[in-house]
Amino acid sequence: MNSVGEGCTDLKREYDQCFNRWFAEKFLKGDRSGDPCTEMFKKYQHCVQKAIKEKDIPIDGVEFMGPNKDKPGG
Amino acid sequence: MKIWSTEHVFSYPWDTVIKAAMRKYPNPMNPNVVGVDVLDRGLDREGRLHSHRLLSTEWGLPGIVRAIMGTSHTRTYVKEHSIVDPEEKTMELCSTNITLTNLVSVDERLIYRPHPDNPNVTVLTQEAIITVKGVSLSSYLEGMMALRMSANARKGWDAIEWIIQNSERDNPLCDLY
Repeated sequence: MNSVGEGCTDLKREYDQCFNRWFAEKFLKGDRSGDPCTEMFKKYQHCVQKAIKEKDIPIDGVEFMGPNKDKPGG
Repeated sequence: MKIWSTEHVFSYPWDTVIKAAMRKYPNPMNPNVVGVDVLDRGLDREGRLHSHRLLSTEWGLPGIVRAIMGTSHTRTYVKEHSIVDPEEKTMELCSTNITLTNLVSVDERLIYRPHPDNPNVTVLTQEAIITVKGVSLSSYLEGMMALRMSANARKGWDAIEWIIQNSERDNPLCDLY
């Protein structure tokens, strides 16, 4: 799967592999320790944030209906 | 405004379905999702995993709708927040589009839970609110989008099954991810 930033895809894949392994082998099995992918995530994050700014994607400008919020009229 | 909902049962235990749901993209059933990024992720005090993701999607809207909406921009971004609770065995996922919001909003909510009577199967409940704004044909368009939701829901279920079947084909002798 690609990243929104063309240059971030390799960083994303590296992070995804790390995360998916932790998610399946630790998290779902009840291991409460955090994922070991923090450093990879920071690098990937840095790249994505830059791409989001460049492409002007309004990730903060929209009120996001999180799972804990009631939806109006819902 | 149109409210749409459905339910689907997967013949797999919750863990298997959740693993597939977390890495659902790419899959052959949803070629319209062209990019997925994690914006933020972390555990809360209850040990639940929160993920905020940005999905880049390419909408195959019919030409007439594009003409009515006056846009040729079919690249749409969707923000998604999911919470996985490994103890309660629930995964809740909410998504909403963050572009084209002046024309349409699609708010979707999915919950994956083990079947109350059978832990070997998983129930997905899914609902969406579709609102087309400022267009005289809005109720027609909302109806059309609700039909599209149904078609897409089926693709989503097929995608999860596809991921499960393909991930189970991993070579057990090698630990290559």
